Amino acid sequence: MRWYIPYGNPTYFIWLTLAIIPLMIGLLYGRRFRGYQTVISLFFLILTFGGPNWKTGISLIGYLVYQMILVGLYSHYRQPKGSPNKGWIFITAVVLAIIPLVIVKLTPLFTPGRQSIIGFMGISYITFKVVQTIMETRDGMIKEFHPVLFGQFLLFFPTISSGPIDRYRRFEADYAKVPVRDDYLNMIQTGVRYVFQGFLYKFILAYYFGTVLMPQIQMRALMAHGFSWNIVAYMYAYSMDLFFDFAGYSLFAVGISYLMGIKTPMNFNQPFKSKNIKDFWNRWHMTLSFWFRDYIFMRLVFFCMKHHIFKSRTTTANVCYVINMLIMGFWHGETWFYITYGLYHGFAMVINDTWLRFKKKHQKYIPHNKFTELFSIFLTFNVVCFSFLIFSGFLNTLFFAPNPY
Amino acid sequence: MSMKKRLFMIFGPIFAAALLMLAVFLSPLWSGFDYVKPKVEENAAASLSPQVLKGQLIKRNALENGYVPFFGSSEWSRFDPFHPAVLAAKYHRDYRPFLLGARGSQSLTHFFVMQSINPQLKNKKAVFFISPQWFTPAGEDPNAFSYYYSTLQTTSWIEHESGSKMDRYAAYRLLEMPSGSSDKVIAGALARIAAGLKPTSSQMFYVDVRNRILLNEDQIFSRYRIPFNNEETIAKNGRLLPAQYNFAKLDRLAGQIGAKKTSSNQFGISNVFWKHRLKPHFKQLKGFQTKMSFLKSPEYSDFELVLNQFADDHTKVLFIIPPINAKWQKYTGLSAKMLNQFDQKITEQLKSQGFNHIDDLSHDGNQPYFMNDTIHPGWRGWLKMDQAIRPFLTKSVPAPHYRIDDYYYSKEWQNENGSESNLDY
Repeated sequence: MRWYIPYGNPTYFIWLTLAIIPLMIGLLYGRRFRGYQTVISLFFLILTFGGPNWKTGISLIGYLVYQMILVGLYSHYRQPKGSPNKGWIFITAVVLAIIPLVIVKLTPLFTPGRQSIIGFMGISYITFKVVQTIMETRDGMIKEFHPVLFGQFLLFFPTISSGPIDRYRRFEADYAKVPVRDDYLNMIQTGVRYVFQGFLYKFILAYYFGTVLMPQIQMRALMAHGFSWNIVAYMYAYSMDLFFDFAGYSLFAVGISYLMGIKTPMNFNQPFKSKNIKDFWNRWHMTLSFWFRDYIFMRLVFFCMKHHIFKSRTTTANVCYVINMLIMGFWHGETWFYITYGLYHGFAMVINDTWLRFKKKHQKYIPHNKFTELFSIFLTFNVVCFSFLIFSGFLNTLFFAPNPY
Repeated sequence: MSMKKRLFMIFGPIFAAALLMLAVFLSPLWSGFDYVKPKVEENAAASLSPQVLKGQLIKRNALENGYVPFFGSSEWSRFDPFHPAVLAAKYHRDYRPFLLGARGSQSLTHFFVMQSINPQLKNKKAVFFISPQWFTPAGEDPNAFSYYYSTLQTTSWIEHESGSKMDRYAAYRLLEMPSGSSDKVIAGALARIAAGLKPTSSQMFYVDVRNRILLNEDQIFSRYRIPFNNEETIAKNGRLLPAQYNFAKLDRLAGQIGAKKTSSNQFGISNVFWKHRLKPHFKQLKGFQTKMSFLKSPEYSDFELVLNQFADDHTKVLFIIPPINAKWQKYTGLSAKMLNQFDQKITEQLKSQGFNHIDDLSHDGNQPYFMNDTIHPGWRGWLKMDQAIRPFLTKSVPAPHYRIDDYYYSKEWQNENGSESNLDY
């Protein structure tokens, strides 16, 4: 028996292909073999969380039981007609839902180099799904709690380790029905294309940038002691590696979902073509940024408006942008570079909004043409790459860590 | 469009691609595509890169074109003006060293490296640098072995193995390493070879296919993975040498450079090495090697694999036994008696089997500027070695008569500590 990181090597794909062929035949003939799907899901979860990783498997089971009870209790409280719908109960439920994630994120801060024993691969992504379910239950959008369906949603194996973050209502609708044959054939076509595009991204391009190019640049940058152009080269190589690695992984997850007849949402949409930073966040790690937009940013904005915290709407939006991105920074990890990365993007959003307002007011004087569009793409690309340089932690290695050379 | 047609349109290209890939990687035609640019050979010869060690095409081409294999380990990375690669380039010798090995590459690794160049070793010459530090009670470190492990070399060897004592012992040793069991089918074949059986025909079929694919990969890609380049280091060091080769002059120069480069400490260790590796904690290192012994080690039998392969290939080999920095040896308490016994033991293993070209420098550890650091030769050490290497590689050497003795594969020999009567000194 061997153990695999999802989509990590060719053998994993061979197992995957063999496992989903019966499922696909079923779907082509109008049947969804839900029992079979559960069995292969378990098989792939064991491949990832079994063997030498069995401790994380136990954590996953414990975590799952905890969240099921939590969401079950909250649904039980909220769903009857005339439920009091108290704010503090809702807040308590959300806090309880994110506490395990907070513990996992804070553990390395207090015991350096150690990971929390309650952690497992993909805990963030499951937490996002849980919090979103609680929030929509409060809003009355989710009217029923099905423990089995909810479990299927949380543990959907193609997306378990790193997303994309699906929404419960969307997933449930797909899972309940069988697509019409022609639609399903289209999904197969798209799914296969995504998986192969993923091969190109992850095993060729990310390999080139991350495994071939980056170590050489890194070494040269470290040998140069202090600032050198190698840092700039590192910035671009790292950015490309980050994109192709994560986008490749996401393509696998979405592609495999499609083959299973589930339209998991896309995670990337040509982010380096963005014309401004807002556009970028609509194209980069989309399911995460939309999650933050819907469940943090929007709710903060409503809260501030309802309680008249700031006079102007602009100030409200600006403050919420910074808080939103700062929380994203904290989510990435408790280091100065992740937090700086969050703040950087928060302020970039503020500057971007300010500029767009200014531009709108002075439309007559500010040109808008192909050239300015190209320039804005170029500028956005570099602003983003610089943020990734911060994010990479390489500046930390370069300036604050003991130099091995 | 019917469902079948649509499915065919979707999956057809995948099957076509898979077939095309199989055809490309199984095709025997690539063997004709074997030209390697001299520049690439030059880079590879001094690269010390594991890629080069694990591959085949570049080494084979280089050894056909005037390069001589220099087997060894970390010493090759100590480039200075008297390094064998620098001297050969500067004085336009009609040989060029092809440096094989880096930190952690020991006899077992070299035995498998030899499997990729057996035709180029037949009746040719080679230099082999023996490090006493290899001969520890644990022998080859499995992690270091994995780092240099090449499945291609293993499959090539299985293709040619004949069930001799050497082959059986190599299979047994390989199975003791994690690399040997990383592929289940190959591990099965190894277990049969170790037991004195031929691999089954299905195992052989698998090995053939694997070998063909890996060979083609090497044939197609290796020449484009140009490894890290030490050429500039060689050229720069060469510029410090006088135009004419004159031993007395060079020896003086080696002393002068060595004096300058070891000015920071009383051990004659190069300043860079001293500053980064020893100075911070050299106080704790006093006496730390008192119990160290190089006398009992599985490495002796791994080394026998190398000797056996040289004998099968009728390769003429010059063995170099280096000294240890004498001041450092005394400071750390490494036993001089034990080192002397090591020298006796390894010399006996060589001479009794007909390997008579030995450049034994083991008593030169107290010569000034002979060592670059604690165990690696430097300036005057390299130059002294050149006094043996140059004549060996430029003059004609009579055909060797090797007599391989299977006793050297035994636990008895591995654990022979030199105190018994058969080692008299």
